[in-house]
Amino acid sequence: MDLLWVDLVANPRFHYLPTHGSRFGRYFSSSALNESNTPYDSKMLNEPPLMNPASTLHQLMRGTSRERAQAAEYLAQQGPDAAYAASELTAACGDHAEISHWAVAALEELGPPPTSAIDALATLAQSEAPLTAYWAVTLLGRAGRDAAEHQGVIADLLEQSPDLALREKAAWSLGRMHADCSQARLALQNAANSQVARLSRLATKVLQQIET
Amino acid sequence: MARRKSKFSLLMWLVFSGISGGGITGYLKPNIPIVGPMIAKLTTKGESVAADSGTLSNNSANSLLSGQPSASYGASTVSGQLASARQPANGQQQGTVSANVAAGRQSNGNLLIASFNIQVLGQSKISKPGMKEKLAHVIRQFDLVAIQEVRAKADNVIPDLVAAVNANGSRYNFVIGPRLGRSNSKEQYTYVFNTNTVEHDPSSVGTVNDPNDLLHREPFVTRFRARTQSPSQAFTFWMVNIHTDPDEVPEEVDALADVFRVMQQARADEDDVILLGDLNASEKQLGRLGKIPGMRWTVTGVTTNTRKNKAYDNILFQGQATQEYTGRWGVYDLERNLGLNRDQALQVSDHLPVWAEFRVWEAPRPTTPVGRPSLYN
Repeated sequence: MDLLWVDLVANPRFHYLPTHGSRFGRYFSSSALNESNTPYDSKMLNEPPLMNPASTLHQLMRGTSRERAQAAEYLAQQGPDAAYAASELTAACGDHAEISHWAVAALEELGPPPTSAIDALATLAQSEAPLTAYWAVTLLGRAGRDAAEHQGVIADLLEQSPDLALREKAAWSLGRMHADCSQARLALQNAANSQVARLSRLATKVLQQIET
Repeated sequence: MARRKSKFSLLMWLVFSGISGGGITGYLKPNIPIVGPMIAKLTTKGESVAADSGTLSNNSANSLLSGQPSASYGASTVSGQLASARQPANGQQQGTVSANVAAGRQSNGNLLIASFNIQVLGQSKISKPGMKEKLAHVIRQFDLVAIQEVRAKADNVIPDLVAAVNANGSRYNFVIGPRLGRSNSKEQYTYVFNTNTVEHDPSSVGTVNDPNDLLHREPFVTRFRARTQSPSQAFTFWMVNIHTDPDEVPEEVDALADVFRVMQQARADEDDVILLGDLNASEKQLGRLGKIPGMRWTVTGVTTNTRKNKAYDNILFQGQATQEYTGRWGVYDLERNLGLNRDQALQVSDHLPVWAEFRVWEAPRPTTPVGRPSLYN
């Protein structure tokens, strides 16, 4: 086997560069490569659109498919500065893949949502779009105690959603909210008895947290 | 026809894996001792896209690791050959210097290994004018790049990207993992590597089994070997590619400590495990992973995101085992190296590549075995 390797890699630290018009080219040493390794000459990226929050939100919610994708991508590049668009991005998770990919990327980096978005997120948590509901529950969890008034909604999802990922995220979210209502406790107790390892583990952890 | 060919390749790969038994499955799933490299792809929540060798370069036939026991490596003569190649004085860390990678390309034959989270690497990204060329330029700075965040419904994104990498005559190839994630938003890991300088072991490719579902996106692991004139003495290593869930970082980095230990024991003849990726954690937030005795993390004291306010990405290994590390590392500054402003760099990714340099010859194994459970008890 080693012979085969040696045979095919006669000079392993040489790099392969093509000659003009030849598919097979010539070999150059590393130093030759470095000399020829001039900066790439690709076209410059288009300047990103300069967008203010109002126009970004407008584009994300009411733009064409392409504009919505552009807005979601722009927000994904803003990190936590995109928090003002938390609920709109969450809704965009239910859009088609080209948009939802960017919306998810934006939400991952967003951190906690502003308190002004919490009520809208509680509504979105009940969305029929699985990814929208998943991210609404995630953001409510990130909001922590600020979202505790919506623990009933989350407990409902933990109890009744057919989507395991959403139920697991609901258990996690209740923990972050420091949920303490009886409905949440009951939902967590049921989840703690689940055969699903992660769901059971998350729920048990939250119950332990409540008891301490 | 292509579909039939793909199925045939997969079948052949499975058969070979079963025969070779060299995969890590037997170790990760001791109840199924010889299953081959499919590992957890059949058992976890990812879609059933098998780890699949790229086909852009014709190197598949020659890339079977022979699994030489490290005791047989002739390291003493190798060290002499390498003496002049050791670039760094004092094994210092170099940090965020844009010129580092250019210097790295002149690193006298050492391997440059990088991790790069390319935010939402999908069709829309690579379709932008100039984007593929930029990403290709970045990838060509390294011998082996662990990429996170491939998010695409179609399977053409990485082949297209690698074709762009090879457009200048380079000979890169790739290995890609299954789509992973708990929600219906999935991601893939991939390794893109220069076949002139490194090759992968098709029998040691897979996704770590995670029966307790501790990790949102289970690590994608592949064993590589530096290409040298003396393969039995070449540096071999596991790569463990990870993108943690930002909402469960403490739990996941703790779980990664177990992944690391499992990988150290996955093959008796392999002590080098390089865990790298987007940890969503700085070096101060590595939990149990950072407490593994002798664990080294190359990226310290710098930021790794494009906005330059967070340290998320790192490259970790156990220093005692992986003495092939030269001490050189860096963060590749997209703005400075590609001549972009901040907004343009953010279009490439919200993360910067991080890299570390390793010698191509296997270092002598430490006398005390690493990776044994007793070390951590």
